[in-house]
Amino acid sequence: MKVLVVTRSGKELIKGGLQLNDSATVADLQEAIHKRTRKYYPSRQRLTLPVQPGSKERPTVLHYQKSLSEYTKGSTSELTVVFKDLGPQVKYSTLFFFEYLGPLLLYPIFYYFPVYKYFGYKEERVIHPVQTYALYYWCFHYFKRIMETFFVHRFSHATSPISNVFRNCAYYWSFGAFIAYFVNHPLYTPVSDLQMKIGFGFGIVCQVANFYCHLLLRNLRSPSGNGGYQIPRGFLFNIVTCANYTTEIYQWLGFNIATQTVAGYVFMVVAAGIMTNWALGKHRRLKKLFDGKEGRPKYPRRWVILPPFL
Amino acid sequence: MARFLSGVRFQVFYFGVKTLNEFGHEHVYDAVEKPLLFAQTAAFLEVLHSLVGLVRSPVSATLPQITSRLYVTWGILWSFPEVRSHILVSSLVISWSITEIIRYSFFGTREAFGSAPSWLLWLRYSTFLLMYPAGIISEVVLIYNALSYMKESGKYAVRMPNKWNFSFDYYYASLVGLAIYVPGCPYLYSYMLGQRKKAVSKTKAA
Repeated sequence: MKVLVVTRSGKELIKGGLQLNDSATVADLQEAIHKRTRKYYPSRQRLTLPVQPGSKERPTVLHYQKSLSEYTKGSTSELTVVFKDLGPQVKYSTLFFFEYLGPLLLYPIFYYFPVYKYFGYKEERVIHPVQTYALYYWCFHYFKRIMETFFVHRFSHATSPISNVFRNCAYYWSFGAFIAYFVNHPLYTPVSDLQMKIGFGFGIVCQVANFYCHLLLRNLRSPSGNGGYQIPRGFLFNIVTCANYTTEIYQWLGFNIATQTVAGYVFMVVAAGIMTNWALGKHRRLKKLFDGKEGRPKYPRRWVILPPFL
Repeated sequence: MARFLSGVRFQVFYFGVKTLNEFGHEHVYDAVEKPLLFAQTAAFLEVLHSLVGLVRSPVSATLPQITSRLYVTWGILWSFPEVRSHILVSSLVISWSITEIIRYSFFGTREAFGSAPSWLLWLRYSTFLLMYPAGIISEVVLIYNALSYMKESGKYAVRMPNKWNFSFDYYYASLVGLAIYVPGCPYLYSYMLGQRKKAVSKTKAA
């Protein structure tokens, strides 16, 4: 089969097109494009079927595991695909590793080193027990995230644009330093012992729940990396679509109840906002996919992310 | 509403220039204070409109603009009377009002008649070339001048220790604000240049 590869402006990316087997997959096509263009490795390529000019439909993205013949509608032996360069890519695991490394390393700096000297405070300070527990809690949290990145999560997309590294690291590292500054401050005012215990206790329970949610999500996807969507089931997923985000938000709530800083609460609210955005998208997608028609199961009625609000 | 706001801004402009001519730059602020505070604060609605989709401008372009306006109007001029007599208050008021009158008239006529006259379109996409640098320089210098008064007075500061383990220093926050002008200005200016190109090519094609 002949494949014509054009850019979105209509120019031919590869003069004369490519010749591939009729049984070739999209992955084979991506390899062939990479061979001819050198610069564009497969994860950088976004291949879509052309849409009529003026049409408002979203273009069909070619999935790397599917066979090319699925997209030719069986009629011709020639296929035109539209190419978009997604820019330099990094693996999701790389992205997550660097985002989480910042908070993991920066926070202890505020605890162990005389940082506050440079802000004009005297060097001697009293360390309250809650500040020590907060250090362990925080570092355990980000250590857990890094471990999950490498051993638990199965990603739907293999890569992410490199610009996200700067954006995401700025977010995590800035908030990490912001919170660490206040919790470890020489003039920090601790809450009552009971409140601290309630906060950390609740937080730990939520972190364990969150880990279990991640395990359940992992088992939804097969190791061959099909990346498709399944209806999540079991544990909290029976009542809320994005139970993993729910437990994550509540886990931060626990931390904040124990440490009581404006910085911590601001971070929690912003993180909750971001996750809510993602959750709404996921919930919508699942409901659209599992519409109950043509033998597909119907997506059950569930909270999106934060019962009883949303 | 656009026409109403441009009316208020015209008032700002008129009083500003009048006072400048008659009494000198030191008195401009006092003359324009009330309509200025009103008009700039009402402008936060612009961000709302942008978020809701009522106007086509992206939030990334309206938010920095409105934030800097509100910050300079309330956070600098209203809060620190010592800087009100600076000559750049005049240039600030004049460049803001000219820009805003044109902008709101443009939107107003588009709402009322479906399209704006070509001379208004030209004004909207050309005056910024001068007004933006004039306004930005005025804003930056005024903020800079207010810095020492911020430090001295400790206004708006929140100090530790406190129950919520929070502290805020207006002086350092303003330094951060000034730093944001460094990437912010080229971004906004090039956004407007891009808009200008699009608008001019549209009229050529028409």
